[in-house]
Amino acid sequence: MDEPMVEMLGRIGIYAPLFLGAIGSILGCAAGGQAACGAMLDVEGGYGRLIGVSALPSSQTIYGIVVMLSMNGSFQIQAAPGMFAIGTLCGLALLFSGWFQGKCCASAIHATKSKPEVFGLSVAPAAIVEGFAVFAFVFALILAGGLPSAAGGS
Amino acid sequence: MQSYYTLMASLPQLPREFDDGPIPISAATLRHRVSMLDHHDRQTVQQVSDFFRWDRQPRDRSDAEIRATHRRLVAEIRHPLVAQLVHHRFEMRMLVAALRCQRSGLPPPEFPELPLAVWIQRHWDEPCFRLNDRFRWLPRFCQAIEDHQPRRAQWHLFTELWNHWSRWNDQYTFSFESVVLYLARWEILHRWASQNEQCGRQRFHDLVDDILQTGGVNC
Repeated sequence: MDEPMVEMLGRIGIYAPLFLGAIGSILGCAAGGQAACGAMLDVEGGYGRLIGVSALPSSQTIYGIVVMLSMNGSFQIQAAPGMFAIGTLCGLALLFSGWFQGKCCASAIHATKSKPEVFGLSVAPAAIVEGFAVFAFVFALILAGGLPSAAGGS
Repeated sequence: MQSYYTLMASLPQLPREFDDGPIPISAATLRHRVSMLDHHDRQTVQQVSDFFRWDRQPRDRSDAEIRATHRRLVAEIRHPLVAQLVHHRFEMRMLVAALRCQRSGLPPPEFPELPLAVWIQRHWDEPCFRLNDRFRWLPRFCQAIEDHQPRRAQWHLFTELWNHWSRWNDQYTFSFESVVLYLARWEILHRWASQNEQCGRQRFHDLVDDILQTGGVNC
């Protein structure tokens, strides 16, 4: 494969965690936010925590930024294929976790609205999904550390 | 990709059973919330509402009119869930009509073109048209009719509709189907609550008395 092509793949790999993570956050926060707005029409108080729950999928963008910065140190052409693989796959995990976490948040908002005492438990599924995003994030950092010359790797 | 998060989250939870407490949302508020839907969805919801309005009318229509309405609805309705809902409701109407005719010693009425109609005509002389296994509510409904308990018979009918549509609803969350099923189940709640006119009148008088006693209204 041509060197410019390989370099392009490497650059895509660097930007992918942020790009895909942000899309996941957009989809997730939109779902949660819409549910929160609907629930506010039906409840008399506790609006803050509804909006708070709907913002949970924002963290995927933050994880994406951290992974991107960790791989964006000194770019080496021999690390480009590895960067593409790690960045794209981590980004996909962040995208889906953000999207589906938003659905969990919407369900939590819907449940809390009718039964406020289940607020803590209803957020648990969203927290579990967040856990998987954290796994994808942490192991992307560890693997990126092993790439030649990226993030201080060998 | 159309999303229904806002609308579904704005609707209060329906009770577990249709006879369990007051209606959680008034017709006017429900109409206002449903206005969030886009034009195409509103048209489909209108079809559902029109059907239920037609379904509530007194039973003074001819069989031919009912058959014509069924034919028109089958031709008009495009949404699969709404079609299923109407089909299910027609089957139940047909069974109730057939049981009433059978009990009065009348011949089978002219049914809409449904597979169940053929079965009923074939088993006209048998108790519950040999449909006890398929429609488990049928023996209980027949028993209530035998006991001259129309309200109990209606309760069995509504219980079946409510449970059936609640089971369908379990498959959907934040989708147009869940909106349609919410409206369908709200219709059952509304119909059941409308039957208890005496209780409603008493409640209204109690509320008026409360307001007058607490000086909430200046007469």
